[in-house]
Amino acid sequence: MQILNFLTPDILYDLARGPFVWASFVVFIAGCLIRTIRILSLTKKWEPTWNIPKPDKKDLSKIKKCPLARIKLSVFGTSPVTMVISVVFHLLIFVIPLFLLGHNILLQEETGISLFSFSQGATNVLTLIFLFCALFFFLRRILLARMRAISTCYDYIIFFIAIAPFLTGILAFYQPFNNYQTMIILHMLSGELMLIAIPFTKIFHMVFFFMGRFMLVGQHTLGRGTRTW
Amino acid sequence: MENLELDTTQVKKMLGKHKAKMKFYLGMCAHCSLCAESCFLFNSHDNDPKYMPSYKFINSLGTLYKKKGRIKQETVEEIKANIWERCALCTRCYCPFGIDIPSMIALARSIMRSQGVYPQYDEEKAHPLAE
Ligand code: SF4
Ligand code: SF4
Repeated sequence: MQILNFLTPDILYDLARGPFVWASFVVFIAGCLIRTIRILSLTKKWEPTWNIPKPDKKDLSKIKKCPLARIKLSVFGTSPVTMVISVVFHLLIFVIPLFLLGHNILLQEETGISLFSFSQGATNVLTLIFLFCALFFFLRRILLARMRAISTCYDYIIFFIAIAPFLTGILAFYQPFNNYQTMIILHMLSGELMLIAIPFTKIFHMVFFFMGRFMLVGQHTLGRGTRTW
Repeated sequence: MENLELDTTQVKKMLGKHKAKMKFYLGMCAHCSLCAESCFLFNSHDNDPKYMPSYKFINSLGTLYKKKGRIKQETVEEIKANIWERCALCTRCYCPFGIDIPSMIALARSIMRSQGVYPQYDEEKAHPLAE
């Protein structure tokens, strides 16, 4: 443990705020690129071996006229509450960190550029909504028999990796335990852990979702699909 | 059914042929259970989780990959139930991520069939209706 003695909170803070951020971004971007290229190399261009008739214009207009019927047939129809909460959760997981005032100030300091930011109050409300969605998923996983039937320790670990940056972020802001420095260090470290975890874990569904639904040809491809395994 | 030794070399060879795609699908499955309602057998069995598409591929192909084909007799029976009795391979299951569930169950069937494990209709309890 003596080797770790030099890791005073101040040094840990500087590390987490500086080199660790850049390192985790490099791992995140490189990892996602490598995995995406791997899927591309494992799949090949798909040409239909038969002629797919162009859909009748009249049929198309019918579908366009009743989008509700289509939505009802999808998971939005079978699990509406879960899906609405899921969409909000997945939007917020991007929106909150990207448009957070504190993050953009840091970005401005480091690179000279920054994105639009919400006010701190708005971000706090969004984070609480995000944590509520997370709580819903957590309860769903422990209470529903069908979720328990397929849940493993790994699912819980991934869940906590995904919500830890938000939880520690809000705790650092409100400081209910009067420990800003510990929380902000945990916040930075957990955010970095999440970035690193994305390409190597189930969280990669962030990228795979688009490939699985739009690119790979299958029963439920949205659009025509262009590649096959 | 008599005790049956799986030919692990052959099983591993068959698993290896599709490893990249199947491991990818198994790894991407978020264990979210949203595919449940798309299976008519799940709906017609009182929403029994064992009829959920993801339960069926995790506990058949997933087990085969995890154990590299070295599985016990009772697991063989469990896999058999998951891929034949609980699935008609009607290919209607729907995963929001586009995971090709039927292809996973089909591969598990091919592997088990190569090992002499398949439904035999003169066998007791071969079909739930025979119970
Ligand atoms: S197969 Fe798809 S819908 Fe079913 S549990 Fe896995 S990720 Fe969810
Ligand atoms: S292929 Fe099997 S799991 Fe999928 S919907 Fe049909 S019976 Fe259910």
